[in-house]
Amino acid sequence: MAMTDLDIPPVRPSRAVQRPGAIQRLMSDYGQEIVVLLAIVALFAFVTMINPRFISANNLTTIFAGNAYIAVAAIGMSMVIITGNIDVSVGALIGVLATISGTLAVAGYPVWVAWFAPVLIGMAINGLIGVLVAYARIPSIVVTLGALSILRGGLISATGGTWISDLPPAFMVAQKKLFGLPVPLVAMVVLTLLAAAWMRYSAFGRSLYALGGNPEAAVATGIPAERRIVAVFIIHGFFAGLATILFATQLQVIQSTVPPNLELTIITAAVIGGVSILGGSGTVIGSTLAAILFATIGSALIFTNVSAYWLRAVIGLLILATVLADMFRRSRRI
Amino acid sequence: MTEPFVVLKDISKSFVGVKVLKDVSFDVRPGEVHALLGENGAGKSTLIKVLSGLYQPDGGKIIIGGEEKKFASTRDATANGIATVYQELLLFPELSVAENVFLGHYPRTSSGIIDWTTVRSRTRELLDSLDTYDLDVDSKVLTLSVAQRQRVEIAKALSRDAKILIMDEPTASLVESDVQRLMSIVRQLRERGVGIIYVSHRMPEIFALADRVTVLRDGAFVATKDIHEVTEKDLVSLMVGRSIESLFPKVEVPIGETVLAVKNLNHGRHVQDISFELRKGEILGVAGLVGSGRTELALTLFGMTPATSGEIKLNGKPVRIASPIHARDLGIAYVPEDRGLQGLVKPMAIRQNITMATIDKVSKGIFIKAAEEMKHAVAAVKRLGVRCRDVNQPVGQLSGGNQQKVVIAKWLETAPQVLILDEPTRGVDVGAKSEIHSIMGELVRQGVAILMISSELPEVLGMSDRVLVMSAGRITDVIARAEATPERVGAAMTAHKSAEAA
Amino acid sequence: MNLKSLFRHEMLLAILLAIVLVILSFQSDKFFTVSNLLNQGRLMTETGLIAIAMTFIIATGGIDLSVGSILGLTAILTGVFWQNVGLPLPLAAAAAIAVGTFAGFVNGIIITRFRVPPLIATLATLALYRGLAEGISQARSVRGYPEWFYVLGQGNVLGVPTQLWLLLIAAVVASIILGYTRWGRTVYAIGNNEVAARFSGLSVERTKVALYTASGFAAAVAAVIFVSRVSTTRSDMGTGIELDAITAVVLGGTSIFGGRGTIAGTIIGLCLIQALKNGLSLAGVKGDGTIMLIGAVLILAILVSNLFERSGTR
Repeated sequence: MAMTDLDIPPVRPSRAVQRPGAIQRLMSDYGQEIVVLLAIVALFAFVTMINPRFISANNLTTIFAGNAYIAVAAIGMSMVIITGNIDVSVGALIGVLATISGTLAVAGYPVWVAWFAPVLIGMAINGLIGVLVAYARIPSIVVTLGALSILRGGLISATGGTWISDLPPAFMVAQKKLFGLPVPLVAMVVLTLLAAAWMRYSAFGRSLYALGGNPEAAVATGIPAERRIVAVFIIHGFFAGLATILFATQLQVIQSTVPPNLELTIITAAVIGGVSILGGSGTVIGSTLAAILFATIGSALIFTNVSAYWLRAVIGLLILATVLADMFRRSRRI
Repeated sequence: MTEPFVVLKDISKSFVGVKVLKDVSFDVRPGEVHALLGENGAGKSTLIKVLSGLYQPDGGKIIIGGEEKKFASTRDATANGIATVYQELLLFPELSVAENVFLGHYPRTSSGIIDWTTVRSRTRELLDSLDTYDLDVDSKVLTLSVAQRQRVEIAKALSRDAKILIMDEPTASLVESDVQRLMSIVRQLRERGVGIIYVSHRMPEIFALADRVTVLRDGAFVATKDIHEVTEKDLVSLMVGRSIESLFPKVEVPIGETVLAVKNLNHGRHVQDISFELRKGEILGVAGLVGSGRTELALTLFGMTPATSGEIKLNGKPVRIASPIHARDLGIAYVPEDRGLQGLVKPMAIRQNITMATIDKVSKGIFIKAAEEMKHAVAAVKRLGVRCRDVNQPVGQLSGGNQQKVVIAKWLETAPQVLILDEPTRGVDVGAKSEIHSIMGELVRQGVAILMISSELPEVLGMSDRVLVMSAGRITDVIARAEATPERVGAAMTAHKSAEAA
Repeated sequence: MNLKSLFRHEMLLAILLAIVLVILSFQSDKFFTVSNLLNQGRLMTETGLIAIAMTFIIATGGIDLSVGSILGLTAILTGVFWQNVGLPLPLAAAAAIAVGTFAGFVNGIIITRFRVPPLIATLATLALYRGLAEGISQARSVRGYPEWFYVLGQGNVLGVPTQLWLLLIAAVVASIILGYTRWGRTVYAIGNNEVAARFSGLSVERTKVALYTASGFAAAVAAVIFVSRVSTTRSDMGTGIELDAITAVVLGGTSIFGGRGTIAGTIIGLCLIQALKNGLSLAGVKGDGTIMLIGAVLILAILVSNLFERSGTR
């Protein structure tokens, strides 16, 4: 007989299992986040050398608060992508919600109604999207592509593209300060940290990674996949609603058009921040850092006297560089 | 004799009118290894899925502790102490070992938050109890080997207090040393009183581990026997319903001149300084542990991972193989290890799969000649005895053995001089296995040179004219058929050869 | 996944198209006139060309989000090469198309050489190419092209809009390639199982690069037609056209996961969208309202075909 009963003794207690060092672990768990952080630091150093006014308090506020709504929306988007889905309609959704919120505020409803309405409606709309994805089993990219058309078309035909102005001062929460810091900045940091902790330590958060990493196994383990997907879309709607409040209250007017390509910026923030487009990995800290990176680039161009028309080209080039760096890093790890 | 923990009584199950299980009865006692045997399609997987709650039976009862149970989902089965270690492991690559073990039933603190300290320490205990001291509970599962992942799966089952553990082909993708280690774990679980349902095609393991064995054929119960009452031959004839004359029908053919000569071939860590010759009409078996470089050698010869240095001569002429397209045009064919992933495009028709590597030959310019393609496909299906509805049937609907024949057919279309077979009969039932062996015999008779990689030692010894043994990326021995004994091959598989010695 | 279920979706769609056409012609007697239908054909050509190339890409399991940006970049370059560089217009257009094609080639290289998922790669180049268009144009538009140039976008040949001939030829050639040649077979094989395709000696990488290059070329040609049709170049041209094209392709039955799809389906999807747009605008619905309906039709069409497919397999 080819196989004998001989037992190969198991490897005996190297009791202290070989554990990788703390730095190695940090690199493996937060590699992409660190790359983005380093890019921000490098950019700050570089631009400040050329133009010291870059790190004035005023400009820092612009950088960190101005793009906060993108970071907040990217939190929900990251969760959606982690489950292996995607949402290309969130930009249109934010446009719609901003208009609703602004209209309510101008019509004289109490400000809290104007604040809460976008959050609740965002959750409801995305809940419906989630149902179509989870129960009707239509790929999320198809559903949200359809939702994008519906929301975008609905918004323009309802408003005719007019702007909402004369917003009541009490409504403008994004212009207020909390502990001496701009509200958007505080909101971004607090929401990111809460969401990150929740994704890392809660059973719900871990089940999202499981679903994205190995959907069949997740179902076999007893994770209710359909309910989780609907839930994650609703949560995504919640963050989109919060993002809307920051977006709608930062300027004196609300442009009743969808910000062009906002959904792509938000998806890009998530992906550049290290969320795998295939699902199963990434963190919301990364997406927030990436949103900050975008804002830094935008501001850096102004302070280095580069024409604003080149902004998108530079962002595109940077995105490409980050993606290629990430691929290079991954290929070396394996 | 102990009472069975679980009894399946007269279980039946149909899919779209076809009965795949006919009144099968089966039981498992605590502390026994009960092997489940049968050809592919005999109903083993369906029976397992009924027991693990994935399928609901149409008729019959599942009885645990004298009480009839209904499993509506895998959750119910788990709650009743039945856990499964699947053939394709169901783990989450981006999550840590500890999370994988406790996902879905995390221990919580009194305030309802997951108690991560307990999660990690209990995982450590479970792994230690499986003599797996070398696994870090915080590692991401994607960094683990197949054997390590399997141990995580077992720990996961134990964490749910499994009384019955179903192991579906647990050794299919393991190497010899890991197989031994798994077997010792199985024995240890048996000592602890866990009942194990062990599904495998590998006879030696069954004889080494099982207490009882149940054979299924065509969805029906054939027999349950004590392992001491039966021989390997008995089991095979119970499985196929007839006796198979010879398990390895080796065809003796005159060996011709050298077709492929490889000298000092290198690629990375797994192919180091490889030299050998392959002759016309010869079957050269390649044995070695996983990671010994067997598949990597094949991939290098096939141009998937082109050689970084060394010389390959085909019919005496030096050649460079930089891509599978090169290899194909030179007459080198490779039937890959992973049939589903590398070998077949499952949703596409048998016809389209068979002509996939030779699409130029059935085309005029860029246009495919449909009639020509049909002719080739029909002929190939007939020649290899592929059992199918017609050649337009999607290949994914065929059984494992017939799928493998389609892959072989695809490469025979290229009229290869050298045919590399990587695990040609893995996951193939006994009947189809002997058919594939006959096809190999037919091919060498026609003068094809075959390089056959196999983890199954009896197959290597039974089919090969010579055996080439690899270890750690190098050739450690080349043994003629007459001298090839399990001991000598086994010794060479674990031998280490330093760079200087070569 | 067999031929039957494949045709089922397209039949369903064709019937839907027929119903829509009938309803619309009852709604407005202006709809079912030759001149209106031909004019609609004119309007859908740019999206159509892009959607045809996109069908191949989605059938391999990929996606190209950068086509709208390539369109914008090519349009801007046509103007700049002609007005600022001073090339003769045909040469300027050809040079711009060459750049657009090269942009597609770059996509292909990023995706195959560096193994970046297509969604991410083209998301990045979407930003990059649009950025280049904006940077080069500095928000200036180019107008005043010679009269003969407008034949392409506004004229007729044999009574049919010039560009509609192009779309027709492209559709016929593409459906022959996808349906009857080994290139088409390779596309389906890659979409269903890329690894097995590679192990079968198919040139996976080369095919993909060729497809993304072709997609860039299609977007670039669409750009020149676009410029000729609207008589001007602006850097924001073609924004969002990728979503229109993808909608047509997916509506036409191509699986977003690859491995399945036909050009005929894409063309039917395209016609359906255009008919809806036109019919609604004739019925007095404002242009943007029709976008909503297209979104709803996309979701519903997939929903219905999903239901059919599931009831068929069980």
